[in-house]
Amino acid sequence: MAGGGGQLKVERQKRGKASNRKKMKRVGFHLDMTPLVDITFLLLTFFMFTTTMATPQVMEMSVPPEKTEIEVGESKLLTILVREDNKIFYFHGSEDPSEIELKNIKGLAERENLKPEVINELITALKPSDEADYGIVVSILDELNLAEIAITAEVVKKVDKEGNPMERERRFTIAPMNEEEIAKIKDL
Amino acid sequence: MPKIKKKRMGFVIDMTPLVDITFLLLTFFMFTAKFKSQAESEQKFVIERPKVSADTSKVPDRDVAIIKIAVDSVTNDTTYYFEVTNEADRAQVWGMSKSIPEELKAKAQLPVNLDMLSELVGNTKRVRNETQFAIDADKKLRFKWISDAMDVLRKNYATKFNYVTEKKQ
Repeated sequence: MAGGGGQLKVERQKRGKASNRKKMKRVGFHLDMTPLVDITFLLLTFFMFTTTMATPQVMEMSVPPEKTEIEVGESKLLTILVREDNKIFYFHGSEDPSEIELKNIKGLAERENLKPEVINELITALKPSDEADYGIVVSILDELNLAEIAITAEVVKKVDKEGNPMERERRFTIAPMNEEEIAKIKDL
Repeated sequence: MPKIKKKRMGFVIDMTPLVDITFLLLTFFMFTAKFKSQAESEQKFVIERPKVSADTSKVPDRDVAIIKIAVDSVTNDTTYYFEVTNEADRAQVWGMSKSIPEELKAKAQLPVNLDMLSELVGNTKRVRNETQFAIDADKKLRFKWISDAMDVLRKNYATKFNYVTEKKQ
């Protein structure tokens, strides 16, 4: 760098003191970005692989405090049973159970809950067998939750005896199957 | 005068846009990253959660106690595990519970049986009453496991709890 310029400088200095050193204008200057890019990509890939996108969800449940027996009118009770082989049955009050497919549960829940005589008063009891899969129980809960959207929309349109608009009050319980119910669906 | 051909020695690409976009992605991933908890890195099992349709509720961030029911990938046994996410609470609960063996006290999540589970749930409620409980179970398990855990929660007056699920794609 100093080669050519240096000689020129010497000549000029001989000519006069006033002359300044000619400044070289830096036109385009380049910064080597390769290490920066390297490290950034490294960090990027690290964060991309360690991050978890799908956070788990939750489904809220509530159970009655202790084993409390509540008297319920038979007409207001819808029972859903899950047998050991994951087959699903339902019945009202003390009627005979009949089989139902998982995908039809939503329709059943909507239909039953919106019957004029039991609207907003129907109690749904889910009674899975101890041997049934946990997965199928959650699927049924999911279907019932989906049915809730339509039920709530319908219930809020109605008015109660005093003329106030109704509020959806969900009555749901989960309990183990009793002997009687096991016997009922055994041979179906 | 003949033209002197300039030899191309080093050639340069403008990396600025590349760096821009990489930094953008980097900051995005850095801010969204959520790291595995101590308990998750300790566990030797994977829970295949039941899939449900879209629901907006997420696992609460703070003060959660999770009962995990999973099949150990090595021994193939089903076991209950108990985890408290709040570290200060966890230390207190672990300290209060007499049934925990000494060598497990440092763990973030404990393998437990139903009696221990009941003691731990009770102590968790005593330490912080508003702790939320969640059951995180594998979908292939028999319902018996879950119903036993629910009984434990019920006996300890934790009547509101959550099932941990995953979004159906």
